[in-house]
Amino acid sequence: MKIEHKIYLSNAVHIVLLLLIGIFALHNLNQLYTKFRFTAIADGLNTGFLEMRLAEKNYFLYRDQTALEAITTRINKTTTTMQKLKSDIIRAVGPASYAGLEQRLKNYRRMVAAIHQGERNSPGIRKQLRKAGQDLKIFSENITVLERKNVAKIINHSKTILLYSFWAVVLFALFFSQHTVRSIGGALRQIVALTRAISRGNYKSIDQKPSADEMGAVITAINTMANELKQREQEIIQSKRLASIGVLVAGVAHELNNPLNNISMIAQTYEDVYDRLGREERISFMNQIEEETERLRLIIKNLLDFSRPKEPRLAQSEPNHVIHKTLDLVCNMLEVSNIRTKLDLADVLPDFYIDEHQILQVLVNITTNAIQAMSSGGELTIRSRYLEKQDEVEFEIRDNGNGIPPEFLEHIFDPFFTTKEEGGTGLGLWISYGIVKQHFGNIHVESSVDGGTAFFITFPSCNKVKRCNNEE
Amino acid sequence: MKNNIMIIDDEKIVGDMAKLSLEQEGYEVETFLDGESALNRMEKKSFDVVITDLKMKGIDGLEVLRNVKHLYPDTVVIMITAFANLDVAIEAMRDDVQDFFPKPVKIKELKASIKKALEKKAG
Repeated sequence: MKIEHKIYLSNAVHIVLLLLIGIFALHNLNQLYTKFRFTAIADGLNTGFLEMRLAEKNYFLYRDQTALEAITTRINKTTTTMQKLKSDIIRAVGPASYAGLEQRLKNYRRMVAAIHQGERNSPGIRKQLRKAGQDLKIFSENITVLERKNVAKIINHSKTILLYSFWAVVLFALFFSQHTVRSIGGALRQIVALTRAISRGNYKSIDQKPSADEMGAVITAINTMANELKQREQEIIQSKRLASIGVLVAGVAHELNNPLNNISMIAQTYEDVYDRLGREERISFMNQIEEETERLRLIIKNLLDFSRPKEPRLAQSEPNHVIHKTLDLVCNMLEVSNIRTKLDLADVLPDFYIDEHQILQVLVNITTNAIQAMSSGGELTIRSRYLEKQDEVEFEIRDNGNGIPPEFLEHIFDPFFTTKEEGGTGLGLWISYGIVKQHFGNIHVESSVDGGTAFFITFPSCNKVKRCNNEE
Repeated sequence: MKNNIMIIDDEKIVGDMAKLSLEQEGYEVETFLDGESALNRMEKKSFDVVITDLKMKGIDGLEVLRNVKHLYPDTVVIMITAFANLDVAIEAMRDDVQDFFPKPVKIKELKASIKKALEKKAG
C-alpha cells in the first residue's frame, strides 16, 4: 500500500473514531437533558403530591371539607400537567412508569371521590385513601430517585467510554505513526547509506526488492541514478584517459622536437661554417649532438618506464626505513640548498608491501621538488603516520616554499607539466603517480601560493593487502 | 653598417648555432635565453630583426612579439616553435609577425626570411 494511501486511511479512521465519539457524547447529552428535564418535572409533581397528602392530613385531623376540594383541585392540576408533559415523561421513564403513575393518581382520585360521596365514615376507606396517597407519593419518589441514579450512571458511563475512546485514538495514532516511521525510516536509512557510498565513489545499489510505496519509488530512482553515475564516471575516466593521451602526445612532440631541432641546427651550422672550424671546435659540435641524442634517449626511456611499467618487485618493508633511505639520497641536496629538515615519524607503524626501489624513486622525486621550491633557509618536514581506520600508512612531505598556483594544481600529475625554469622533464610526478597507483596507494597535494606545498602519499599496510610475513 | 639580429630561445644551442651561421652572413647577433632579459636589452640597443621561440617560461614569444611591435614598430619579428599550433600561428600573424617557422628550423629558410625582411625594410 502506498504511504499516501496509508495516511489517507489513518486520517479516515481517526475521523470515524472522532465522529463516533461525538455522536456518543451528543446522544448522552440528550439523554442527560431529558433526565434533568424529568427530574425538574418530577420535583413539581412531588411537590403536588406532598400538598395532596398535607390536605389529606388536614381533612382527617380537622374534618375540613375544603381540604377534600383542595386535593381534588391538586389532582386535576397534576393530571393536566402530566397530560401536558406526557411525551417528556414517557421519554424519560418509559410508558410503564407513566402508566403506573397515572393509574395511582386515578386510584387516589377515586378514593377522594368516594369519600366525598359519603363513605367518609368507613374506616376502610380512610385507610385506603391514605394507602393510595402514600403509594402515589412513594411511586413518584422512587421514579425520581431511580432517574437520579440513571443520570449518575449515564455520566459514569460516558466518562468510561470517553476515556476508552481517548486511549483508542491515542493508541491508534501511536501505532500508525510508529508503523509509518518504521517503514519510512528504514528506507531513508538505506537511502542515506547508499548516497554516502555513492559520494565516496562506490556506485552500489540497494539490492532488496523495493516496496510498492513511495519509498520504493525513491529507492528505484536512486538505484537508477547510481547506475547512471557509474556509467558516466566510466565515460569521464575514458575521456580523461584520451585527453591525457592527447596531452602526452603534445608533450612528446614538443619534448622531442627541441633536441631534434638542436641536432638539426648543429648539423646545418656545421656544414655552413665547416671551413672556419678547427679540430677542437668540430669535436665540440659532435659532442653537442651526442648530448642532445642522450637527452632524447632519456625522454624515451622515461616514457617507456611509464607506458610499460616494469612489474614491481614487491617485498615487506618498514615505512620509516624507506624515509631514512630517501634522506640519505637527498642529504647532499639539502646541505647545498641550506634546507633544514624536520622529521616527525610515528613510533609504531605497520610494515607495507612495496617495491622499495620504486617508492624511493617517488619519495626522492617529491623531496627534490620540495627542495627546489624553497629558497635557502627553508624547512622540509617529513612525517609518517598510521591511518588506523583505513589501515594505511601515510607519508607527508611538506615544504614552506613558494607553493603551486591553484590553476596549476590540477595539472601537476599530467605528463610534461613542469613549472621549473629549466631542466624539468615534467615526467617526475606523472611517473610517481603511476607508481603509487600500482601499489594501490594514493597521492594528493595541498598547496597555497607562498604557504608551501604538502604531498600526502598513502599505502595500504601489508596486512590490508594480506601480504604480511609474520615469521619474525 | 651591420644589421642587428636578436635571438631568444631557452634552448641554448638554437642561439649558439643561429649566431654562428648568421654572423657568417655579416650580421651582428646577440642571443638570450628568456624574454625578459631580451626586452631589457632592447631598451638599450635597437635591433633590426628579433627571432624568438614561442614557448618559454615567463615572458613567452607572443608577449615578446607584442612588446616589440608596440615599442619598436620597425623591428621585424620572426617566430620559431617546437610545437606548431594553428591558433597560436594565427594570433602571431595578427600581431604582424614576419614569419613563423616550426622546429626543426631550416637555417637557409631563416636566412632567406631575414634577407627579405631587411630588403623590404630598406625599401
